[in-house]
Amino acid sequence: MMKTLTLIWSYLRIDIANELQYRVNFFIQLLQSFIALATGLIGLWLVFNHTTTLAGWTQPELLAVMGVYILVNGIIQAGIQPNMQRLMNEIQDGTLDFALTKPVDGQILVSIREFRFWQLTDVLVGLVVLVIAVFRLQEQFAPLQALAFTFALLLGGIMIYCFWLMLTTTAFWLIRVWELVNLFQGLYAAGRWPISIYPNWLRFGLTFLVPVAFAVTVPAQALTNRLTMMTLPGALGLTIVLMILARLIWRLGVRGYSGASA
Amino acid sequence: MINSIIQVEHLAKHYKVPVREAGLKAATRSLFKRSYKTIKAVDDISFQIEPGEVVGFLGPNGAGKTTTLKMLSGLLFPTGGKLDVLGFQPSRRQADFLRQITLVMGNRSQLAWDLPALDSFDLQRAIYGIPRQDFEKTRNEFIEMLEIKDLVQKPIRNLSLGERMKMEIVGSLLHRPKVLFLDEPTIGLDVTMQRRIRNFIAEYNQRTGATVLLTSHYMADVEALCKRVIVIHNGKLLFDGALSGLVDRFSAFKTIGVTLENGFGSFSKYGEVLNQDAGHVTLRIPREMTPEITARILAEQPVDDLTVEDPPIEDVIEKVFAQNSAAA
Amino acid sequence: MKRYIDFYLTSMKIAILEQFQYRAQNYFYMVGVIVEPTIYLVVWSTIANQQGGSVGGYTPGALAAYYIVWTLVRQMNIVFTPYGWEDRIQHGRLSMELLRPLHPIHNDVSYFAGWKVVMIFLWIPIGAGLALIFKPALDPTWLQVIVFTIAIWGAYLVRTMIYAVLGLITLWTTRVSAMFELIFALELILSGRFVPMTLMPEWVQRIAYYFPFQWTFYFPINALVGHLGTTELLSGLGMQLLWILIGLVFVRIVWHFGVRHFSAVGN
Repeated sequence: MMKTLTLIWSYLRIDIANELQYRVNFFIQLLQSFIALATGLIGLWLVFNHTTTLAGWTQPELLAVMGVYILVNGIIQAGIQPNMQRLMNEIQDGTLDFALTKPVDGQILVSIREFRFWQLTDVLVGLVVLVIAVFRLQEQFAPLQALAFTFALLLGGIMIYCFWLMLTTTAFWLIRVWELVNLFQGLYAAGRWPISIYPNWLRFGLTFLVPVAFAVTVPAQALTNRLTMMTLPGALGLTIVLMILARLIWRLGVRGYSGASA
Repeated sequence: MINSIIQVEHLAKHYKVPVREAGLKAATRSLFKRSYKTIKAVDDISFQIEPGEVVGFLGPNGAGKTTTLKMLSGLLFPTGGKLDVLGFQPSRRQADFLRQITLVMGNRSQLAWDLPALDSFDLQRAIYGIPRQDFEKTRNEFIEMLEIKDLVQKPIRNLSLGERMKMEIVGSLLHRPKVLFLDEPTIGLDVTMQRRIRNFIAEYNQRTGATVLLTSHYMADVEALCKRVIVIHNGKLLFDGALSGLVDRFSAFKTIGVTLENGFGSFSKYGEVLNQDAGHVTLRIPREMTPEITARILAEQPVDDLTVEDPPIEDVIEKVFAQNSAAA
Repeated sequence: MKRYIDFYLTSMKIAILEQFQYRAQNYFYMVGVIVEPTIYLVVWSTIANQQGGSVGGYTPGALAAYYIVWTLVRQMNIVFTPYGWEDRIQHGRLSMELLRPLHPIHNDVSYFAGWKVVMIFLWIPIGAGLALIFKPALDPTWLQVIVFTIAIWGAYLVRTMIYAVLGLITLWTTRVSAMFELIFALELILSGRFVPMTLMPEWVQRIAYYFPFQWTFYFPINALVGHLGTTELLSGLGMQLLWILIGLVFVRIVWHFGVRHFSAVGN
C-alpha cells in the first residue's frame, strides 16, 4: 500500500515538474475553464429566465449541481482520462507490454502514470462555484453535510474510474473503442442537470450504466440536504461491486492479451 | 542557357531560430530577451539542368537537399536567389506549373487508405484534369510496367510497404509530369523492390524524356540512375558533375585486391593493408602510384589474380564531407 | 468549370466508398451526437410541463420536433475542425495538398459533402426511432421541405467557411485553442444549438443577427419545424448565401497571407 502511494507521488511529481515549465498553459487552461463556466452559467440563466425551479431544484441548488459537475470533470480530465487514453493507445499499438512487465501491479500502474496538473483549474473553478452556491443556499450548513459531500464525491470518483477502466479494457477485444468512449463522454454531459429530470429509462442508464448520477447528483444532494438514508450506503455498495467487477475484467483482458503482431 | 528546364541562381534559404540554453535562469531570461541565430539551410547554390537529365542529389542529413527540392517544387519560398522551373517561378504555385511537376516523398502517402489504388488513381485524374482516354492509356501502361494488375484492386491497407510504394509512384506520375522531384523514394524498401522502382523511373525517363531530380541515401539508387550528381553539404554546393568525376576528384586512393597462389607474404611495404586473410590481400595505395605498385606486386609475389578498384562511393562521399566539416 | 464538377463528383464518390466501410464507427458517432439534444430536450420539456404546457410558445411536441430535426442538421454541419488544421499542418499533410493544382479547400468541401450523403442515409432510421420515442409535432408544407433540403447544405457551407478561417490561423500560430473554445461557446449561444433562438431574450436575438451562427442551426431547423412565411424562407436562404460569400472572401484573404507565412517556414 505504502509502495503504491509513493509510486503515485513519484508520477505526480514528474508531471507537475514538467507542467510547471509551461506556465502559459496554466493561463490558457484557466481561460478555457472560465469559458466553460460562462457557457454553463448562461445556460442556467436562460433556464431561469423562464422558470424559478427545475424539477424541484432552486437556483442556488442548480448552481451547486453545476459546481460539482465542473469539479468532477476537472478530476476526470486531470487524472482519469489521460491514463485511460494512454491505456487504449497502448492496447491498440501493442505496446502495453512495457507496463505489464514492471514489478508493479498492472492495473495500478496504468491508472496512475499520467496526470495533467493544469486541468485542475476546473477543480478550482468548481470549488469557487460550490462555495458561492452554498452561501446562496442560506441554510444551516452542517459539518456533517460537508462530510457526506466529500464521501459521496470520493465514491463517485471511484465509480467513474471503475467504469472508465472497464470501458477501456474492452479495447482488448474490440480494438476500436474510441467511438464508445465518445458516446459515454456525451452521456456524462447529462450530469449537468439533476438526473431526476430525465425519463425513467434514461435515469436508469445514468445511474447504473454510466455512474453520472453517483458522480454528480448524489454529492450535490449531499450539499443540498436531499440525501435519503439509503443513498450513501447504496453508493458504497455499488462502488464495491464496481471495483470488483473492474478488477475481474482487467484480469480477464490481460490474460488474453498477446500484443499486436511484431 | 535559356532552354534549361531548371535554372537555379544563388539560391539561398535562411532560417532564424531562437536560441535558448537549458536551465531555469536562461528560461526566465528568454521571456524578456529573445536571441536568434541564423541557420543557412541553403547557402548560395547555383546549377542548371537540361530536359531529360536524371540528376542525383547527395549529401548527409540536414545538408539542404530536401530544402532545395521543396523550393524547386514551390513548397518553400527562397530567402534569396532566382529559381526557374519549366519557365515558371515555383513559389507562385500556378496551376499550370503544378500540373507539370510531381514531388514524391518516401514516407508521405497520398492514396486513400481503405480503397483500392484504382479509386485513388481516378481521383488523381480528376485533380489534374487528365482527359479520360489519355488517363486510361497511361494508367494501363504503368500497371503493366510494374506488374501490379492484381494489386490495384486491393485496398491500400492490405498491401505491403513495397507494394504501396509502387502505387504511390504510379499515382504521382499519372499526369505525366515533365519534372520529377523524388525525395528518398526507395527508403525502407527491400533490395528487389528498390531495383523495381529504379527501373520504373529509368523507363519513365526514357519513354517521356522527363527530367528527374533524385535524393537518396542509397548509393545504389544514384549509381543506377544518375549520370550526374550534385553534392550538397552544409547548404553549399560541393560538386556538380559526372559520378565518375566525383571519385576522380575526391579520391586520392585506389584499392588493390590481390589473390595469391600460395601462402602470404608481407604486403605492408606496398601500401596500407586494409584486409589480409588466407590467400587474399586488400591494399589501399595512392592513386598516382597505381602502375608502379601493381607492377612490383606482379613481379615479386605469386599472384593468381589482381584487381584495381575505385574505393566505394560511400567512402568517397564520407571523406568529402569529413574534409569539408573540418574546413568549415 | 466542368473540371471542378468532375473533381467534386469523383471526390464525393471516394468519400462515400470510404465512409461506407466505416458504417459501424459512423453509427456510434451519430448515436453519441444524439445525447446532447436529448439533454436539452428533456430540460426544456420539463420547464414546459412545469409552466403548464409550453415555454415561450414551444410545447413539448414542438420542442421534440426542434431537437429531432436538430440531430439531422447537426450531422450536416459537422465540418473539419480548426484543431484538424493544426494536426494536418504538423504532420506535413498540408504540403501534399499544396502540390496539387487545386485549392485544398475543394478537397475538404467535396470529401465532407460525400461523407454527408452517407450520414444522411444512416440517420434516417435514427430519426425514425427518435420520432417514435419523443413524438414530435411536425407538419411542414412542401415549400418548407424544399427550403429545408437546400438550407441544410447551406448550413454545411456556412459552417465550413467559419471553421476554415479559424483553422487557417494555425498557419501562423498553434497556441490558439483558447480562441477556438471561445468561438465554440459563442456559437453554442448564438446559433440555436442550445435553444431555439426565440427562447432567448430579445437583445440576444438582435445580436445574433450580426453573426453567421444562427444560419447553421436555427434557420434550417426552424424552416422545417416552424411557421415561417414564403418571404422569410427564401430570404433565409439568401442570408445563407451571403454568409457563404463573406466567408469565402475571408478564406481567400487568410489563405493568401497564411500560405506565404507557412511557405517561409514550411513543414
